[in-house]
Amino acid sequence: MAIEKVISAARKEGRTYLTELESKQILKEAGINTTEIKLARTKKEATSLAKELGFPVVLKIVSPDVLHKTDAGGVKLNLKNEEEVAKAYDEIISSVKKHQPNANIQGVAVQNMARQGIEVIIGMNKDPQFGPVLMFGLGGILVEVLKDVSFRIVPLTRRDAREMIREIKGYPILEGYRGQEPANIAILEEMLLKVSDFVENRPQIKELDINPIFAYKDGAVAVDARVILEP
Amino acid sequence: MKDIVKKLDRAFNPRSVAVVGDKREMGYMWLRSLAHFQGRVYSVQIDERELPGIEELGVKNYLSLLDIPDEIDYVIVAVPRAVAPKIVKDCIEKKVGGVMLFTSGFAETNTEEGIRLQRIIAEMAREANLNLIGPNCVGIFNPKIGLCHAMDQYYGDGGNVGFISQSGTHATFFSLMGEVNGIRVSKSVSYGNAVVLDSTDYLEYLGEDEDTEIIGLYIEGVKNGRQFFSTLREVAKRKPVLIWKGGQTEEGSRATASHTASLAESPLIWEALIRQCGAIKVDNLEQLLDTIAALLYARPATGNRVGLCAMTGGQSVVIADAFAKAGLEIPLLTERSYREFASFFDIIGSSYRNPLDISSNFRSLDNIIRCIDILNNDQHIDAVVLELSVLFLTRLGWLVPNFFDNLIDALTDYKTRSNKPFLTILVSAHAESEAITAKKKLVERGIPSFPSFERGAKTLKKVVEYYRLHSA
Repeated sequence: MAIEKVISAARKEGRTYLTELESKQILKEAGINTTEIKLARTKKEATSLAKELGFPVVLKIVSPDVLHKTDAGGVKLNLKNEEEVAKAYDEIISSVKKHQPNANIQGVAVQNMARQGIEVIIGMNKDPQFGPVLMFGLGGILVEVLKDVSFRIVPLTRRDAREMIREIKGYPILEGYRGQEPANIAILEEMLLKVSDFVENRPQIKELDINPIFAYKDGAVAVDARVILEP
Repeated sequence: MKDIVKKLDRAFNPRSVAVVGDKREMGYMWLRSLAHFQGRVYSVQIDERELPGIEELGVKNYLSLLDIPDEIDYVIVAVPRAVAPKIVKDCIEKKVGGVMLFTSGFAETNTEEGIRLQRIIAEMAREANLNLIGPNCVGIFNPKIGLCHAMDQYYGDGGNVGFISQSGTHATFFSLMGEVNGIRVSKSVSYGNAVVLDSTDYLEYLGEDEDTEIIGLYIEGVKNGRQFFSTLREVAKRKPVLIWKGGQTEEGSRATASHTASLAESPLIWEALIRQCGAIKVDNLEQLLDTIAALLYARPATGNRVGLCAMTGGQSVVIADAFAKAGLEIPLLTERSYREFASFFDIIGSSYRNPLDISSNFRSLDNIIRCIDILNNDQHIDAVVLELSVLFLTRLGWLVPNFFDNLIDALTDYKTRSNKPFLTILVSAHAESEAITAKKKLVERGIPSFPSFERGAKTLKKVVEYYRLHSA
């Protein structure tokens, strides 16, 4: 199974942090919708993968050593054609090398550029007393500033999922505040239940952040994700 | 019989109790607390100087637990900590139903010796499957059979509220303060360091106990959180469970590599747990007692719209503030209600919009009752709250003899025929001793009263939320 393969590969390298690519592979396996993401090891691979996925695309550095990809110049958004992809590839590699000369660079991830939606976060953390706990809230950078989040202990019931979404102060934003596109609450509930199911049976996973998830009126997609394994 | 009931039945419903190590210095508090115990009481004490005092109490003393020619269901241990392992060993050999260690000085002292002794007694008890309660606690209170842990606790008629408390003081306060608020204990237990039996065991037991309809918990920490979670979830489906969480656990430093980890602080997790399980979160002893009183004595709430009656204008403003701030609605009444008010209500210096300012109308008992009857019958209203200002009621008593007693009779009749939760707010102002008398009378009639608008409002909000959660 892909999840075990990803985890054991990381273990072999003595890593507890999974890359975004690995984290998304795991989420996909758990039935969670993520942006399409493929690993390019060369510039040529990057342009042909971009063509395959369809423009526009996003390029992101894939390295277990680079935790803050944007800060290292490792992210390029909204690339509309092959030329832009090729240029972005070179820029990313040279910027990361300059920023972190010793970083182990596995390549560059090519992903769909997801349409902007309402940003939400789903996370998991292990409470010392109660074990895995799920968190839901408004995502992106808002989560750090507003801390508008709710918690439930795993396993979640459908009712828990329903309530924890409605509990946050920002819930009216999800309902479509002042004519903005609403989020599909049922799909977010489903996502919470899937994450609950998934982490309940995976004691190897210590922490999980899916942030942001873009929520739309007819769907939701995990745009970035980070999985941290138990030591 | 469920396993947990079988396991703890002898300890909670003993027919024989032995007290080990009671002494004059403590005023023989343990033996005296058992003065009304319906079963057999024995003393174990080896200090010859203590024997005359024990004999004076009419209790037979033995030099060892093992010498007692009777089965022992429950043992109270008040010996110095160094002797505790020896007594626990005797309890195992005697096959007692349960042993409670009042003895303290264990891990809570954070000393090497305390931790060592605690480990010894815990290992012995666990290995022998001995029901060890504590140490560092006051154990079981079962008023029905006169099993008390304080001399001033009541006995005889037991109640229907169970209490599980990590602290002995809170267990004692709960029983005594509960009694004056019309809340009587079915069974309670203070369990201290919880080295063998923990809150989860007691919760499961009281969940099964037929005498217990409502359960309160005072918790500082749990040992097996997952087990506590699933037990609470299960028990709270059947009985209201109220949780007062004391202290904030700092379970070592936490990794903060992800957002979720840095935001998931323990108090938030407890809050989520309580909500998730359908229990009721309370923040202090007053709130615990207030909420239990409302569950016991007010009809189940079906919604959050309140009809408020204050005795004067200023109070009508702030009673509305308090209830709105607690998250309750104070809607306008139906046209029909307003027509009814118009037919009799003296509006000079008063008002009946909602909140009501009854003012001069308060002189007539009939008018007071008419006001709350209208609110009770109004379709926009889910609960009715009446301010009883002890200051004004005392003054009315100067003009109309027996005014307060007649009012209480009328309110009792009203409560019987009403179908919505009814709460009173007993505002004492300076008349504190009169308020105590008034409170007592309300308790006797089963009319819930609260000493401030804020406490009444918070309580109503909690029960509304509880019934909402459990009706869906």
